[in-house]
Amino acid sequence: MAIKKPLFASFGMAGFVPIVATCVCAIIMLLPIGSVVTTAMMPHLVLISAFYWLSSRPLLLPFGACAGIGFFLDLWLGVPLGLNMAILLCTRLFVITQLKHYRGRSRVLYWAIFSVLALVLYVVAWGITSLVSGDMIPIEPVARQWGATVIAYAPIALVLGRLRRLVM
Amino acid sequence: MMQSSTLSDNLGRRRINKGRGYFWTYLVIAVVFLLLEALGSSVPVKVRSYANDIAAPVLTVLEQPIRITQDGLERLAGVSDIYLENQTLREENDRLRQWQETALQLNRENERLKSILKVPGREVPTAATGRVVGASGGAFEQSVVINIGHNDGVRKNAPVIDDGGVVGRIIEVGYLSSRVLLTTDVNSHIPVRLERTDDLAIIEGTNELFIEVKYLPQTVTLEVGDRFLTSGHGGAFPPDLPIAHVVSIVDRRPIVRTTSNIDSLDYVRVMNYQPKLPEETLIDPEDQLEPLSQAGDQDEQDAPTGGGR
Repeated sequence: MAIKKPLFASFGMAGFVPIVATCVCAIIMLLPIGSVVTTAMMPHLVLISAFYWLSSRPLLLPFGACAGIGFFLDLWLGVPLGLNMAILLCTRLFVITQLKHYRGRSRVLYWAIFSVLALVLYVVAWGITSLVSGDMIPIEPVARQWGATVIAYAPIALVLGRLRRLVM
Repeated sequence: MMQSSTLSDNLGRRRINKGRGYFWTYLVIAVVFLLLEALGSSVPVKVRSYANDIAAPVLTVLEQPIRITQDGLERLAGVSDIYLENQTLREENDRLRQWQETALQLNRENERLKSILKVPGREVPTAATGRVVGASGGAFEQSVVINIGHNDGVRKNAPVIDDGGVVGRIIEVGYLSSRVLLTTDVNSHIPVRLERTDDLAIIEGTNELFIEVKYLPQTVTLEVGDRFLTSGHGGAFPPDLPIAHVVSIVDRRPIVRTTSNIDSLDYVRVMNYQPKLPEETLIDPEDQLEPLSQAGDQDEQDAPTGGGR
């Protein structure tokens, strides 16, 4: 008898938690919290949330959801349309193909993998934005935002972990 | 047992292949959007304007508790040094009263001389006042969303100021909201003049809190407190608006910051000023939004907008 893989519907309403949590992260990123200029230091909460949920419940954050959230994030952040969409799609592809190598390992390894993945994605995003704007955009703010995202991963993953244990 | 394992593997492989199909479909869509952006198509701008209209009311509601919390924290932080602050404010008030008298006297004299010489006025009225409800694209773009749009008289490329000086200019206009490209954005290049010497320069954003001054004659040495005003060249901004000042000099390198409160923007004013840009950069405002009224039509026909990012 074939082993039945879980379906999205089998989680019930709790199945929507990853999408809702990632949308909440997107809204937090959009709000003018603190300084406008220091939003360059705002961690990419959506990327953190997407990586966390994809690493723990990949089924609940399908490609369509990643594309949709990325699209709306691009629209509202004012960055080139398609940028965050591509970032989240690549994150999902990376996780579903590589998860078998790190699933169940230590949290530090998850953090390290996220850091490297975020670095690659930020460099690619920097390249794409420079190409689209037709001018090299400064790399320092991008590097700073990557650093903030990496540092913020641990506490946000902790909160999302609590949420996951609470509802699933 | 072996048969069930094979079936499971096949099912898994089929799912992965199906998933990769979705990945490529969505990625192609993302690339198409990026190409449209790179080619300067008006479609992303239009879509974004409408999307901001949807998001602005939601963000206005959501930012209320944040504002209240921030105000509360600021008040709490201010309680400890309230006595000292009161003392400083009293002294400052006395100084300002003296300055007010001088300013009023100079203003009267200025008006009288202007009327004698028949100099046309350069005051630019405010089109609308709005509040910042949305933050920017972080490290990639410095912009904010404000809760006023076409319905309030906001037009594309109109300068935006606060009580300190120039904040930026309007780059996207929706019916209820607009996006302001800040002076700190890397795509912001504004012709300025040094107030002290009248030398011309260009101010460029760096996507950070500080901005760069370029093309200032090498003979000019900047001093702490020097102010830069818009020169009016290029026609994107009216002349004589304060935009930046030198906050310090480190290793002979001036550190320049905006005069506007760009790190804590709240209320901003959109000026009723239509940039006079070169013809090749003109964009028909009809491309972006339908006009509201006949009067609005006339205004827009008379006053071209343009100057993409």
